[in-house]
Amino acid sequence: MDFQVVVLAGGTSKKLVPLVSKEVPKALLPVANRPVLSYVLEQLELSNIKDLIVVVEGADAALCVGGWISAAYVDRLHVEVATVPEDVGTAGALRAIAHHLTAKDVLVVSGDLVSDVPPGAVTAAHRRHDAVVTAMICSVPVSGLSEAGSSGAKDKTKKPGRYNIIGMDPTKQFLLHIATGAELEKDTRIRKSILRAVGQMDIRADLMDAHMYAFNRSVLQEVLDQKDKFQSLKQDVLPYLVRSQLKSEILINGAPQGQQAKENGNDKVIGEANHLSGYNFSAQNNIIHPSAELGSKTTVGPHCMLGEGSQMGDKCSVKRSVIGRHCRIGSNVKVVNSVVMNHVTIGDGCSIQGSVICSNAQLQERVALKDCQVGLGYVVSAGCEYKGESLARKEK
Amino acid sequence: MQFDDQGRVNKSKKRAVFNQPEAKNRVELFRHLPQYEHGSQLTDLESKFLELDSMHPAVYKVGVQYLAGDVTGGNARCIAMLRAFQEVINDYSTPPGKTLVRDLTAKISSYVSFLIECRPLSMSMGNAIRFQKSRIAKLPLTLSETEAKAALCNDIDRFINEKIILADKVIVRHAATKVRDGDVLLTYGSSCVVEMILLYAHELGKQFRVVVVDSRPKHEGQALLRRLLAKGLSCTYTHINAVSYIMHEVTRVFLGASSVLSNGTTYSRVGTACVAMVAHAFRVPVLICCEAYKFHERVQLDSICSNELGDSNDIARVPGRPDVNSMDNRTNEKNLQFLNLMYDATPSEYVSMIITDYGMIPPTSVPVIVREYRREYLLI
Repeated sequence: MDFQVVVLAGGTSKKLVPLVSKEVPKALLPVANRPVLSYVLEQLELSNIKDLIVVVEGADAALCVGGWISAAYVDRLHVEVATVPEDVGTAGALRAIAHHLTAKDVLVVSGDLVSDVPPGAVTAAHRRHDAVVTAMICSVPVSGLSEAGSSGAKDKTKKPGRYNIIGMDPTKQFLLHIATGAELEKDTRIRKSILRAVGQMDIRADLMDAHMYAFNRSVLQEVLDQKDKFQSLKQDVLPYLVRSQLKSEILINGAPQGQQAKENGNDKVIGEANHLSGYNFSAQNNIIHPSAELGSKTTVGPHCMLGEGSQMGDKCSVKRSVIGRHCRIGSNVKVVNSVVMNHVTIGDGCSIQGSVICSNAQLQERVALKDCQVGLGYVVSAGCEYKGESLARKEK
Repeated sequence: MQFDDQGRVNKSKKRAVFNQPEAKNRVELFRHLPQYEHGSQLTDLESKFLELDSMHPAVYKVGVQYLAGDVTGGNARCIAMLRAFQEVINDYSTPPGKTLVRDLTAKISSYVSFLIECRPLSMSMGNAIRFQKSRIAKLPLTLSETEAKAALCNDIDRFINEKIILADKVIVRHAATKVRDGDVLLTYGSSCVVEMILLYAHELGKQFRVVVVDSRPKHEGQALLRRLLAKGLSCTYTHINAVSYIMHEVTRVFLGASSVLSNGTTYSRVGTACVAMVAHAFRVPVLICCEAYKFHERVQLDSICSNELGDSNDIARVPGRPDVNSMDNRTNEKNLQFLNLMYDATPSEYVSMIITDYGMIPPTSVPVIVREYRREYLLI
C-alpha cells in the first residue's frame, strides 16, 4: 500500500556492554527466550508486510543479524539488511539508506519494540489524516524501570530522570509538543501559534514515545538533508517536526500539515531492551518447556519461563525469571527476578537476584549475585559475591 | 439491499472486506436498514490497513474518512470519492487478457461496495457513480489505454467542475437575489451551499441576520456558526426544540438537501422536515438549495423505506455532560431500543421553491429536469 518499513536494529550498544558482544548484537538479545527482533518481524509478518529493510550498525553485527534472519524467516519475509557505519544515530541511519526509500510513506520501527499494536493501525491513521508524521505513544510501563547496575547502590536519592513531556490536543489525536527526558530542564517552551490554533492542549508526563513512526517520505528526506546535525529520530527529528507544524514558511509544499499521535491504552509494551531486568510479563503463568527437568522440591513460581532441555537440581527456587535453553542449574539455587540465557551452568548453592546472565557463562558454587550483569562466556569463581557489577570477559 | 433478508445479508458478509458486528437491539420498523456496532469498526478497519492488498490506498483513505466522520456533507463526500477514483484510474493498468472497460468497471464496483460498507452511499454519490460507469462503458474501443485513462480523468474533472463547483456558483448567484435588506434568514444544520449563499450576500453588502438552528447529536450548526461569525455576520443560535418560538421573527428559510426526489420530496438531514413544517405554518417561504446532480427519479413517500441509521451511542450520551449518563451502556437491554435516524423526507407542500443550477423551480418541476436534462449529462 505504498508503505515501506524500516526496522532500526541498532548495533552493539555501549550501554549494554556485558550483555552484547560481537556474536550477539543488541537486536538478537533474547526476551523471553526469543531474540527481541523476532517480535517486530512477527508483528510485521502478521500484517502482511513482505518487504522490509533492517538497518544495523556495524558490519559484524549486520552479519549476525542477517544470518539469523535468513535462517529464521527464509521464505516468509523478504528482508534487506543494510549496514550503516557505527554511531550515526537513528537519523543518520535513515540518511544512509535514503536511496532505498521510494514509497510515499515510510514506517520506522525500532528493533527492540515489543508490542501488540498492529502497525496497520499506525499507518491507517497516518493516511487518514494525511499526516507528516504519526507517532505511537503509550503509557510508561509501571514496573519500575530500574537503571540496571549503573545507578546501583550509590545514588539512591537519584530520581528517575527518564520522563517525557508530551502535549496533545483534547481529542488525543494530534501531537503538539514532545520533549524527551534527557534534555529536560526546569521549564519547557511551547509555541504560541500551535496553542492558538488548537485552543486547548493537555500536557502529560506519564506517556512515552514507543518508537514506531510513520513518516511522509519526502518530508523526512528533506528534513534529514537540511539538518545535518540531527542524530536521533526520537530526540531531534520528531520534536523538530512537531515544533514546526502549522508554521507555514518552512514547510514543504507550502501547505501546513499536521502531526498525529496515536495513543494506545492497552498495548503491552514491555520496556526497552535496555532495562531487561525490570520487566514483567503480562498475565502469564510460568512456561516450562516439556523437555526441562526439575529436581525434587524445586519450585518454579508464576511468571517464569524455562527453556528447552534445561535441568534444575533439587531444592531450587525460581521466581519471576526467565531461564534459557540447555542450562544446567545445580541444587539449592535461588533465582529471583533474573534472566539466564542459554547454555549457562550454575553451580550449587548460588543465589541470583535481579541479574542478567548471558549465554555460555559459568557460575561456580556458592556465588551470590545481586543486580549484576554477567557477560558472554564469563566464569564466576566459587564463593564470590557481587553487587551491582557488570562482569565481562576481557576481549583478547 | 434490504437488511431483513437474512440470506442476502449472509452472502454479502462473506464478500465483505472487514467484518462489522451488527447492532443487537434494532427498532422493528427499521430492520431493513443496516446498523452496526460503531465502537470497534474504525479500529478494525485501521488495523487491516496493510493487509488489504487489493484496495487502492486512495479509496481506503476515503473509506476510513467516511467511517470516522472526517468527511461529511453530500458534496464533500462525492468529491472525495471522485478524486479517489481519479487516482485509481491513473494508477490502473489493464491486466493481460482483459478489456479495460469490463475490468475497470469491475474494479470500481468492488471499491464502491467497500465504500458502502464504510458508510451507505448518499444519492448524490450514487448518481456520480452511475455517471462514471456510463462514461467507462461509452469509451470508444479504438482508444489506447493511456488515451482512455486521460479521457476518463478528464470526464471526472468536468463532472466535478460543472456539476458541483460551477453549479454552486450559479445557485449562490440566484439565491442572493432572494435576500433583501432587513431579512432574517433561518437555516438548519450545516449545508455548504447555504453557507456560500449567506457569505456571498454578506459580501454584496446586504443587511440581514441569520438564525442557525441546530440539533443533537451531531451539532452540525456549530461549525457553520463559527464560520459565519468569523466573517462578521450577526447570528442567533438555537436548538430545534425552540424553532416554533423563533419562527415568528424569520422572513425566509434556506435549507440544504441531500437529494430531491421526483415527487418534489426533499431528502435531507433529520429535522429539516420539522423546520419546513413550522415555517409553513407561520407562512414563511422555504427555499431549498440543491445542485441538479442530486436529483433522483425515485419517489419516496416517507422517511422509513430508505434512510440511514447512525450510532446509537451518540444519542445515549451527551458530550460534555458526564452526569447525564443514565442511558449509557444500556444498548443491550431487551426493553430499550435506540433509534438514531440520519435523514428525513420533507413533503413538497412545505417547500416554496427549489434553487438549482438550472434556475429557480417549483418542486413539481423536478421530474421535468430529471427527464430532460438527465440524458444530457450522460452525453457530455
